Amino acid sequence: MEKKIGIINRQAPHGKSHAREALDLTLALSAFNESLSIFFIGDGVYQLVAKHQADLILQKDFQPMLQMLDLYDVEQIYVCQMSLAIRNISVDDLVIKTTFLTPDEMTACLARQDQLLSF
Amino acid sequence: MCDHQVVKFSILVTGNPASSQSASSAYQFCSAALSAGHTINGVFFYLDGVLNANRLISPATDEVNLPSLWALLAEKHEFPLEVCVSASLRRGVINQQEAEQLGLLHHNVNSPFVLSGLGQLAELSASCDRLVQF
Repeated sequence: MEKKIGIINRQAPHGKSHAREALDLTLALSAFNESLSIFFIGDGVYQLVAKHQADLILQKDFQPMLQMLDLYDVEQIYVCQMSLAIRNISVDDLVIKTTFLTPDEMTACLARQDQLLSF
Repeated sequence: MCDHQVVKFSILVTGNPASSQSASSAYQFCSAALSAGHTINGVFFYLDGVLNANRLISPATDEVNLPSLWALLAEKHEFPLEVCVSASLRRGVINQQEAEQLGLLHHNVNSPFVLSGLGQLAELSASCDRLVQF
């Protein structure tokens, strides 16, 4: 059976290249594996907040690439509800459709994965 | 499960060899796993991990030269060292073929390090018992 791979995003979008390269990796893996799940936890939730102006700080605006997830049939996208609440981010601010999980649900969902990659 | 079960490991290295312990730990993990009779399917280098493939890295004589240690271990135990090509190019980690295509005068990646795509990571992920990220 195909392995369930979970990709965890924990970094803010532009301070390091982790967010952008994790998204590259996710889109590439989706061609080989249909059991991908993506998780946004902690500062990782900022990756989903609309209206980045990455060009002002000489970074690549990779946010349009998030729309590709749907196109590539990556549908299991999970966001930590508590991480949003702590940062006072409203669900309406997010650029893609996601499933919200409580920390307990998140733990259970992570435990169901065969492999985890963390960025 | 018997005590002597052989585990096939695939390894993902994402740390800069000069400024993080990630790659040293990965190397030591591979050495220890091989000594214990397990196998390494392959090592995939991503993010700053691709800098491990830079053969121009020249630490002081009392420091460890990780790129050469990786090369020795991989050749001895015949596992591949796959380096993500897109992450490499943006960090100036370039093999002869890419240098020729890009019109660059120099390159800094040699065998056994191979520039390859993220498809190789998918392959390593599918074919192992355990995928370990450093």
